[in-house]
Order: sequence, then structure tokens, then C-alpha cells
Amino acid sequence: MAITYELIKQVTAQLYERSLKQIPDDTRQALVGAGARETNETGRRTLQIMVESADAARRKQSLVCSDSGVPVYFMQIGTQARFEGNVKQAIEDGFAELVATIDPPLLPHVTNPLTLERGYQGKGMPITTFDLVDGADYIDITCSPKALGSGRWAALEIFSFPDLPTIENFVMETVLKAGSQPCPPVVIGVGIGGSFDYAAKMAKEATLRKIGTVNREPILVEMEARLLQRINKTGFGPMGTGGDSTSMAVHVNYSAGHGFTPVAVCFNCWINRRTRARCYNDGRVEIME
Amino acid sequence: MSITTHRMTFPLTAEDARTLRAGDQVIIDGEIIITAGLPTHARFLDCLDDKEPFPMDLHGASLFHLGSYSRETDGQFEILYINPTTSTRFNPHMPRLIRELKLHATGGKGGLDEASAKAMQEAGCVYLSFLGGGCTLLSEAIEEVLEVGWRDMLTHYRVVRLRVKGLGPVTVGIDAHGNNLYTQIRDAAQAQLKAQS
Repeated sequence: MAITYELIKQVTAQLYERSLKQIPDDTRQALVGAGARETNETGRRTLQIMVESADAARRKQSLVCSDSGVPVYFMQIGTQARFEGNVKQAIEDGFAELVATIDPPLLPHVTNPLTLERGYQGKGMPITTFDLVDGADYIDITCSPKALGSGRWAALEIFSFPDLPTIENFVMETVLKAGSQPCPPVVIGVGIGGSFDYAAKMAKEATLRKIGTVNREPILVEMEARLLQRINKTGFGPMGTGGDSTSMAVHVNYSAGHGFTPVAVCFNCWINRRTRARCYNDGRVEIME
Repeated sequence: MSITTHRMTFPLTAEDARTLRAGDQVIIDGEIIITAGLPTHARFLDCLDDKEPFPMDLHGASLFHLGSYSRETDGQFEILYINPTTSTRFNPHMPRLIRELKLHATGGKGGLDEASAKAMQEAGCVYLSFLGGGCTLLSEAIEEVLEVGWRDMLTHYRVVRLRVKGLGPVTVGIDAHGNNLYTQIRDAAQAQLKAQS
């Protein structure tokens, strides 16, 4: 048996639709928790409306946000996984079918950067990155659509042999530049080291980690706690109109590299779009989140 | 400090706008005009320069940076949903629009810069922060589609006049007295970062 074109097409389209209509459970829980701690009254009310808005979208199977973004997938491919048919074509066709059938319909956000024309299709769409999982007989697919709030304010800078305060200050500068614009409270992903492209990939993957899970690197456990505390003291708060809840989580990944050290920082807005499923060789589909 | 929630009929007058303070919340009834288009704002400036007519009367309007999905069936437009977009993209356009159209309310999400806040103070205008990711709740407030302008544009770039009931609550992010929560918070955070570095 094998993982078919049809199955990948169906699962990738479903993951996208679900990411637009409901927020992850850990995120809802984080918003409720932030609401209980928030000392700013406007901020507290805003957090409450966020939860109400997410619940209403889920109940009515409507969109949480109208900026449905562009489709972004991350596929971890088991080395024992077998395929029947074209994988990349299946993802592309799944998105096209979703656009044609989803209710309510989506706004056209796919933009040609050379002509600024917008539509539902474009070169390189859907954006998909791949990784390998040794020994697994499945593929693990994460969908995390990127829209303006969750995409526009990311930044990357390359340092030479930076110490930890230098890295952390760059994260803070990026957070300040983004300010109220990425729809806080945000999830922040940081990638340290590796190469230019790999740091960005690590930062993006860091945003996909479940809120509340603990980093395996003790130095980063402390860094994440320090950054979260500093970010929540900036005062931007929910939607940037004031409060203590600017970030729900800071997640940091690292990789060894040369002494030049890229540091990438990216954001997920409060709706924290993220869905994941696992497709097995025998045709089973496991919804992970 | 306790915040005040106002229920007000739009479009706001300059007098209405001046009663609001940064941090207050507002629930919106009445008529609003919305668009999320950067090209739309460029066209608005062309209209001010008499290069083409405005698609509808925007004088004294409550003009919000909200996108919409509009669909035409049998000559009738329906709006399936609305949601705010990031207003800072319109920083270069808003001071002229606020002054020359005498806008008394604008808004979206993310705020506007000091040049806009200054124009707002002169015109008697407030900036209202809508919930990003509030698509389902905000759309429930739509009562009637009154007018759809520039139908040749992409749906979220069109200019749409709506009658709404109970839209919000929204937060006054910039008031008509020069208080801009966005720049105040950013400046304080920057001073804090400088002190830490």
C-alpha cells in the first residue's frame, strides 16, 4: 500500500480549511490564561472578544480572519513512506479545489511580487518545505498559512560570534518594530545559527511548537523565559492598544554553524494558524492538531 | 482606571469624536464606509487632485480600513464578511484624506503615525481599533449594503458603504486630542529597551 495523490490532495486542503476556521486548543487556552492575568482592562476585554470570535468562527464554520493568507505546508517524510502519484501536484490541486469549493469563499491573496497582480494561483504556490524522518512509514503534514500579521514583521540579521544578550536584543528590536501590527498576543519563533536560509526555517518551525512545551536545550529554556518576560513588559498588549499580554510564547531553535550567526525572528498572530495530520502507508489519517 | 463604553451613531461628527478618549470603547451603529485597498487609497488621492471623481460621497465620513468579500447576485451586492487590515500601510495617505475630507472617524488595526494623529486633532477625528481575527463577530453587525464603489477593483479593495448595528466593541487607539496609544506605547518600550541594553 502507499500514500496516494488523492489522499494528499484531500488532507492538505482539509488542513488549510480547518486552520482558517478554528484556532488550536493550546492557543485558546493561552488566551483564556492571559485574560485571567491581564491587568489592563481594555486588554482584558480584547482577549475576551478574541476567544468569543474564535468560538463563533468554529461554531459557524466561518473564517476567524478574512486574511486567509497564502498556503504554506511543512512536510516531514518518513523514509519508509511510499507514494503513489505526484506529491507536489497533489498539494497544488488540493489548494485549487479548496479555493473553488470553500464556504465562505476566500479573498485573493496570492500576489505576483513582480507585477503585484493578485489571485489564487502563482509561481511556487503552495509554499512547501520538506524534511526526512528516519524509519517512519508516514508523512507528517503541517499547514500554517501566512498572512500579513503573521508574515510581514519577520526579520533576520547575521552577527559575528554574538553573545546571548546581543541575540536577545535583536529579538526585542524586532518585536518593537512589529509593535501592534502583528495582532498580539503573538507566538514568536526564533532561529539561531546554521545558515541564512536554515535560521529562517528554524524560526518558522519554532512557531509551530505547542504552547507550554519545554525546550530540550537548558540554555534556551532560560532564554525563552527571559524574552517572554521582557516582551510582555513592553506594554503593547492585545491588538497593541495596551496591556501585559503581547506574547503567548517565545520558542527558540538553534543549530551549530560557523562563527557568523544568523538570527531569524518571526511571528504568528493571536489566531496562531496551525493544523497537522499524519498519513500512513496503509491509508490511515491521524489528525494531530 | 475604569474605561468607558460608548454606543454611538455613525458617521461621527467632530463633536462626537471629541467626547472620546484614548482607551475608551465604542459600539458602532449607523453608516460606515470601508475599504482595505492600498491602490484604493492611491485613487482617493487622485480624486482629491481632481483626476477622477470619488466613487461616493466621502466628505465627513467614517472611513475604516476593513476589507470585505462582496458578491453580486441579480444586481444586488451582498457582503459575506468584513475584517480589519493593518492601517499603518496607509500612513502616507491618511493625513490628506483626514484633513481634506474632514473625516471624523477612521480605524482598522495597528494604528496610524503621528502625522495622521496631528491631522486627526485638527479635524476632530478618532482612530478606532477593530479586532484582527474578528471576521465572524464583526460580520454579524452588517444590516444593509448601501453602496459599492469601484466595482472594477478586487473585492477587498472596493469602497463599500454599510449600515451596521452593534459593530464592535472597538477601542479608541488615537483620540482627537493628540493621544496616540500606539506611539506612546512604542516610545515607552523603546526607552525601556535602551535602558536595558
